[in-house]
Amino acid sequence: MRNHITARRAERGWTQADLARRAGVSRQTINAIETGKFDPSLPLAFRLAKLFEQRIEELFLDEC
Amino acid sequence: MQVVSELKATGLLALGTFGWTATIALARFGPGLLWETSNQVASWGAVALNVVAGFGWIVTFIRYLRAVDELERKIMLDALAVTLGVAWVAGFAYVVAHAADLVASELDVAALSVLMAVVFVGTIGVSKFRYR
Repeated sequence: MRNHITARRAERGWTQADLARRAGVSRQTINAIETGKFDPSLPLAFRLAKLFEQRIEELFLDEC
Repeated sequence: MQVVSELKATGLLALGTFGWTATIALARFGPGLLWETSNQVASWGAVALNVVAGFGWIVTFIRYLRAVDELERKIMLDALAVTLGVAWVAGFAYVVAHAADLVASELDVAALSVLMAVVFVGTIGVSKFRYR
């Protein structure tokens, strides 16, 4: 699933490790989500959207 | 919060794994080394201890899976699925090969366990590299 996490993270000057700590996951998880190798669970997707003060559908793109 | 929980769960899993392995060694080498082979009560006690420790290890592993990060959980579940599949395929292939007199010796459970361990660790390594 494509997403805007890399761009939103860069806007805030956060590293992957920074975002991982705030979201309560590992840096590898953030990297895997950003590169589209791993789709997050719904709770984690909501947590990320909340961190970036965006709606979930603004952060994650529906490819269907 | 989650890091502490993960660390705690990982530590408990390591302890559980060590404890279970120790009870295997006790049940395997205890008779003859620590007590007489004829002392079946002690031998059965060691086997029972191993089974109890084994169930404890299963519970610890489930708690570990629930505590870890969701990508780590996916990596573990994938590795478990591959390991179970390989064990079934290899195990049944060996059994039918033995039944057809293609191989002389019967299936060695210890060898199958080693194969499962190698596949499990190898699959985790491949997944970790993929998601690095």
